[in-house]
Amino acid sequence: MKGRNNELVFYCAPFFVQPNPYEIISINTQKPLTYCRFAVILFPLMRIAREHSPLPGFRLTLGYSVFYLSLIVLIPLGAAFLKTAGMTWGAFVEAVASPRVMASYRLTFGASLIAAVINSVFGLVVAWVLVRYRFPFKRVIDAFVDLPFALPTAVAGIALAAIYSKNGWIGHYLEMVGIKAAFSRLGVVIALTFIGLPFVVRTVQPVLEALEPELEEAAASLGANRWQTFRRVLLPPLYPSLLTGFALAFARALGEYGSVVFISGNMPMRTEITPLLIITKLEQYDYNGATAIAVVMLVFSFALLLGINLLQKWSLKEWSA
Amino acid sequence: MIEAQNITKRFGEFKALNNVSLSVKSGELLALLGPSGSGKTTLLRIIAGLEFPDRGAGRVLFNGEDVTYNPAASRQVGFAFQHYALFRHMTVFENVAFGLRVRPAATRPLETEIRRRVIELLSLVQLDNMDKRFPTQLSGGQRQRVALARALAVQPKVLLLDEPFGALDAKVRKELRRWLRQLHKEIHITSIFVTHDQDEALEVASRVVVMNKGAIEQIGTPEEVYDRPANPFVYNFLGSVNLFHGRVHGGQVHLGNTSLPAPEHPEAQDAPAMIYVRPHEIHVANQSNGQQSLPALIRDVNPAGPLVHIELERLDDGAKFAVELTREQSRNVQLTPGSQVFVELKNLRVFSEDYSI
Amino acid sequence: MAGVITRLNKAKRNTRAAQDPAWVRWSLIGVSLAFLGLFLFVPLAAVFTEGLRRGVRVYLAAFQTPDALAAIRLTLLVAVIAVPLNLVFGLAAAWAIAKFEFPGKSLLTTLIDLPFAVSPVISGLIYVLLFGAHGLIGPWLMEHNIQLIFAVPGIVMATLFVTFPFVARELIPVMQSRGNDEEFAALTLGANGWQTFWRVTLPNVKWGLFYGVILCNARAMGEFGAVSVVSGHIRGQTNTMPLHIEILYNEYNYAAAFAVASLLSLLALVTLALKSLIEAQSAEQTQND
Repeated sequence: MKGRNNELVFYCAPFFVQPNPYEIISINTQKPLTYCRFAVILFPLMRIAREHSPLPGFRLTLGYSVFYLSLIVLIPLGAAFLKTAGMTWGAFVEAVASPRVMASYRLTFGASLIAAVINSVFGLVVAWVLVRYRFPFKRVIDAFVDLPFALPTAVAGIALAAIYSKNGWIGHYLEMVGIKAAFSRLGVVIALTFIGLPFVVRTVQPVLEALEPELEEAAASLGANRWQTFRRVLLPPLYPSLLTGFALAFARALGEYGSVVFISGNMPMRTEITPLLIITKLEQYDYNGATAIAVVMLVFSFALLLGINLLQKWSLKEWSA
Repeated sequence: MIEAQNITKRFGEFKALNNVSLSVKSGELLALLGPSGSGKTTLLRIIAGLEFPDRGAGRVLFNGEDVTYNPAASRQVGFAFQHYALFRHMTVFENVAFGLRVRPAATRPLETEIRRRVIELLSLVQLDNMDKRFPTQLSGGQRQRVALARALAVQPKVLLLDEPFGALDAKVRKELRRWLRQLHKEIHITSIFVTHDQDEALEVASRVVVMNKGAIEQIGTPEEVYDRPANPFVYNFLGSVNLFHGRVHGGQVHLGNTSLPAPEHPEAQDAPAMIYVRPHEIHVANQSNGQQSLPALIRDVNPAGPLVHIELERLDDGAKFAVELTREQSRNVQLTPGSQVFVELKNLRVFSEDYSI
Repeated sequence: MAGVITRLNKAKRNTRAAQDPAWVRWSLIGVSLAFLGLFLFVPLAAVFTEGLRRGVRVYLAAFQTPDALAAIRLTLLVAVIAVPLNLVFGLAAAWAIAKFEFPGKSLLTTLIDLPFAVSPVISGLIYVLLFGAHGLIGPWLMEHNIQLIFAVPGIVMATLFVTFPFVARELIPVMQSRGNDEEFAALTLGANGWQTFWRVTLPNVKWGLFYGVILCNARAMGEFGAVSVVSGHIRGQTNTMPLHIEILYNEYNYAAAFAVASLLSLLALVTLALKSLIEAQSAEQTQND
C-alpha cells in the first residue's frame, strides 16, 4: 500500500504542474486555483471509488471526462459569466431590460409556450395513435416523428418559409382568409412547433406502451365507460411524462434560432427573437450587450434543466412505486 | 490451499464480513451456506478478487502467497456467476475459448490446441455439438454448464460458484447437483460454492461452512453440521426443527412433567433452556413410556408423500410441534386427530436460554 | 431522444376492454396524420420540389460551384473531427459513470447534458467571448498570430459543444442496463482492462454506440446557429453547408438553396432510417436475452 499516495500525486499532477491549458485561464481570470481545488476535491474521491471495483480504468476515464467536459463546456460557459461580471449593475440592467430586448423576451417566451402547448396536445394524440392503433405505414410515420431532431434547422427554416409565404403551398390559402403566416409572430410559433414536435411524443410513448392492459380491463369490469377509463385511469400516469415533454419542448424552443430566422421576418420589437438579438448585438460589436442577454437566457435554461431533471426523477419514482 | 484470514468488509455502515477466517483444503468441494445477507457471496468475491477486504482488515492467501489486493485477472480462479454472465455476442465455443484467447501471445495456445481444449471441455460438460450456438439458444441448465466449461478452460487453481443452481427450476437443479458432484469426483479441482439451500449444501459439498450476519457459525462435514449443530442458528437453518422451552438443572432437562438427560449442561442450576428436536427424531406411541414420555394431542395428520406429517399440541402448556413418521412407523400407532398420544424426544439438543440467535 | 432501450416491449393489447370505437380510432388517426403531415411531410416535400423546380440541370449545377464544394468539404471535415472526439469522450464518460460508484456522479451526468440546454447561438457566443478579438484570451492569440474564431477551429469547437452530449447520453443507460457481470467474468478469465473493454463491453453496447454516433453526426453536419456565430461567413473558406444555404437563400437563389438543402434532407432521412433499424435490432437483442 506504499505506492498509493504517489499515485494520487501522479494523477493530480497534470492539474498542478503542467502549465497549459489552465495557466492561460489563470492569467486572464484571476482565479488560478479554481480548477486545482476541483482536482483536490475530486481525486481523493476517485481513490475511494477505486477500492470498490475490480474493473480498471476508473481514474483514466473519469479524469479524461472531467478534463474534456471542462475544456469544451465548463470553461467556455464560465467565460460568459465572467464577461458579465466585468459589467456594472446599471449597464447590465440596461442591456437586458431595454424595450427592444423586453419585446424579444415576450415573443420568445410567448411563442415557445404556445408551441409547447400545441405540441403537448397533438403530441399526446400522436403518441396514443402510434401505441394503440394499427394503420398503414405506421412504422414509417413513427420513424418520421424524429425528423426535427435529424433535419438541420436551416433546412427546416427555409422549407417552412417557402410553404407559409404568401405564394407558398399553405401560405396562399391562409392569405385568402386574411392570415399572414410567414414574416409574422404566427410564423415564429409554426417554426417552434416544428422544432419541439418529437419531445412530447417520445416522452409519452414509452409510458403509454408500458401501461398494463389489465388496468383498462379492471376499469371496464368496474363499469367505467371508455371516456371515464381514459380520464381517470389512463391519463393520470401520463402526467409526469407529459409535463416533462412539455418542458423539453419549451426549453428547446427558447433557444431555437435556425428554423425561426427565415420565417419570422426579424422585425425589431415585433418578430425579433432573443437569440437573433444576441447575434445582432454581436454583429454591432456590442459584446457586453450580447453576453448580458445570453447570461439571462443561460440562467433560465439551467433552471429549466434542473426542473426537468427533478421532474424526471419524480416521474421515475412515481412510476416504480 | 486457499486461506482467508481475519477478513472484515464494510459496505458503508453495513458490515458484510466481520473478522472471518477460513481455510480451504486442496481438492475439496466446500459449500458456503447461509441466508441472504450472511456475507457468503462477499467472501466468495473477495477470494475471486472481485471485491477487496477493508484496508488492512484481512488477507487472502493462495498456497501461502498473499493475493489480497491482486487483480482478479492474475489470480487464476474460475468463477461461475449466478446468472452465468455468458458473453451474449459470442458462440458457446468462443465463450469457452475466451480465457485462452486473451492470454499474452507468449503463453497463448495455438488455434488447434484451443479448439481441442474447448471441444474436450464441452464434452466434459456434456454439451457436444453445441459449440456453434449462442447463449440465448440454450436452456438455463445448459448455460450454467457452458459457464462452468468456460471457467475450467483457464485451468484455475480454484473453482468458485455463486449460487450455481439458484436460477434453475427444481428438477434441473437436482440433476445438475448430482452432475456437479460427479464432475468434482472426476477432476478434483478445489471448489467453493455459495448457496442458501441447505439440501444443496448437504448433498453436494464435502464440507459445509454455515454463515450468518457476516460471521461463520460452524464448519464441518454435512453429517457433522446436520447431526451436531454448534448452536441454535445452525439447528434452525439446517432442516426443520421443533423448539421446546424448559429448564435445565444438574445435567437434567425438565420439560413439563418429564425429565431427560442433558449431559452437556452438568453445572446448570435451574436455568431456562431451549430444547431442539428434529421432527423425525420424535417417537410417537399410544401408551406412556414412563418418565420420558410427554402427553400430546393430535391436531392434524397429513399422510401424503413418503412421510406422514403430524401436528401435535402439548397437553401441559398447549405448545404446538411437528412430527414426521415414516409410513412404516405410522402403522404401529393409532393416529386419529383429536386423540391423545405420548411422544418421546429421541435426539435432543439443549441450549441455555441466554444464547440468542 | 427517447433512447434505444425505452422503445421496447410492445405489448399486444387487442382485448375488447382496451378497444376504442372505430370512429374514435379513425378521427384520432386522422388528426395525427394531418398534424404530422402539415409539420413534417409538407416541409420535407417542399425542399425537394423547390430544389427541382427549375429542372434537374439547375439542381445538379448547384453542387458544382466552387463555393458549394468548399462548403461540402468543410462540413465533412468538421464532422470527421467532432464526431470521433465526442465518441472517445462518450466512451470514457459512460465507462466511468456506468461501471463505478463515486460521489458527484449525478452532478457529472447533469453537466454532460448542459449543452442541450444552451441555445445554439449562445454556444457559439461563448467561444467568441473566449477566443475572439475582444475575448478573454483573444489578445494573447492575436499576438501569437493564432486565429480560432471566424476560422475552421472555431467552427469545430462550436460543433463539439453542441454535439457534446449525444454519444455519452445514449451509451450511459445502455451500459448501465447490462450490469458488470460479463466484465467481471472476463477479468476472472484473465483478460486485462483493454481486452475486457474491446471484446466484452463494446460488442454489448454497439447498437447504443452507433445510435449516438449517427445522431451526433447528423447534428454536427446540420448545425446552424452556433456555427453561424463563429464562422465569419467567408465564402469558400468558413461556410459549412447550412451557412451556404443561408447565403444562397438571402441572395434569392432559391433553387440552389433548396438543392443544397435537399442533400442535407437526404442525410436526415438516412439518419432516421438507420435509427429505426438500430431500434429494431436492439429490440430483438433485448428480446433474446
